[in-house]
Amino acid sequence: MADLVRTVAYEKSLSLHHQPVGLAVAAVCILGAIGLGVYVSRQDSAYPSSDSGSIDAEVVHMASTVGGRLIALPVHVNQAVKKGDVLYRLDPEPYALAVRQAEANLALAAAEVENQKRLLAVKTANAAVAQDQTTRAQTNHDLAARTVERLRPLAGHAYIPWQQYDQARVALNDATVSLAQSHQQASAAQTAIGDLKSSLAAQQAAQAMLDQARYALRQTTVLAPTDGYVTSLRVKEGEILAPSQVLFTLIANDAWYASANIREITLGAITPGDCATVYSMIDRHTPIRGHVESIGWGVASLDSAGLARGLPLVPREMDWVHVAQRFPVRIRLAPADPRLLRLGATATVEIRHGEACH
Amino acid sequence: MLRSLIRPFGISSALLLGGCAVQGAPSFSLVGAYFPDWMLCGMIGIAVAVTLRVVFVLTGLDSILSLRLFTYLSLGVITALLAWLIWFGP
Repeated sequence: MADLVRTVAYEKSLSLHHQPVGLAVAAVCILGAIGLGVYVSRQDSAYPSSDSGSIDAEVVHMASTVGGRLIALPVHVNQAVKKGDVLYRLDPEPYALAVRQAEANLALAAAEVENQKRLLAVKTANAAVAQDQTTRAQTNHDLAARTVERLRPLAGHAYIPWQQYDQARVALNDATVSLAQSHQQASAAQTAIGDLKSSLAAQQAAQAMLDQARYALRQTTVLAPTDGYVTSLRVKEGEILAPSQVLFTLIANDAWYASANIREITLGAITPGDCATVYSMIDRHTPIRGHVESIGWGVASLDSAGLARGLPLVPREMDWVHVAQRFPVRIRLAPADPRLLRLGATATVEIRHGEACH
Repeated sequence: MLRSLIRPFGISSALLLGGCAVQGAPSFSLVGAYFPDWMLCGMIGIAVAVTLRVVFVLTGLDSILSLRLFTYLSLGVITALLAWLIWFGP
């Protein structure tokens, strides 16, 4: 018992003796941990990263502006195509027939223009005749007037019978009426000449219809608008497609992106043009170099739901902790191994650091 | 400032740990799911704290310590943070 008491007392004195050392060690460790923690959290904010990004690319939903039966489909699903390759062909026959019809309409319109030209020549000649008739009527009128002038003194002195003078006056009246009529006729003939405007416009309309028909015919062949991969193609030749109906999706292969959601509190450390290291999780050992292209300007949030019409939807809540909003940061990737680049693949993104940014 | 303090230690640690240096993405695949880098660092911190405790008890160093819980906790945290800085830090 005495031994035990002595041992405990010894232990106590030992621990009292070592207590300052122990306390100092504890203080150093705790302060070190806190200091390092602050430093690491600052580094983490200054060099943002995300492990929930995804590999992204632009897509084209391949469709034709015209409809019809699919007669040729030289591509198959998951095939890589080059820009300008034929992707598919619709039955061109209805559109070729439409072109022939439009060509015939154009020929008709052109013939009508020729017709109108001939008619115009005839009407112009008629107007010239009417003009000449005016001149003749004028001459006749002048002669009748002079005759009346000559006969008036002779009739006054009874050298000629009154009957003859009367006839001359009637002849003058006739000539006056004829002159007025010929003037009107000449004016009407001149007006009737008209022009080719309506037939030319009809010809232009027919030409536009033909161009439209030819355009529709060209749309029956669909070419690849860009290098890319054919995806979600599930049909074969024989399928009937409506105008603008999507046949498959083409993933553009000319530019690849990574989209990483970054918390708003660290967005300040990111500026467009920053270097980024992206790992496609298809192979987590190969870094892909990229640079920040842009930061998303908006995301939909539940608080803004239903703002388009009506009153804002405000839930009753008393939350004390609010999770930081994240915005998609778009990173353009440098050319990389095509096996790593698949739309939707998980990506780990390190902005302004990582292996590709040294 | 702190960076310059850490650097020599970081380099020596990196040399020591060169054989098992982590290459590639800071995200690890395990049975079809991805686990983040900090989770691995946390595991290392816990393992190192437990190991240090065992070693200190065996060598008798443990007896001169006081506030043991906080000391070992801090040592684990420091190890985890250093591991993160060396392998995954910017």
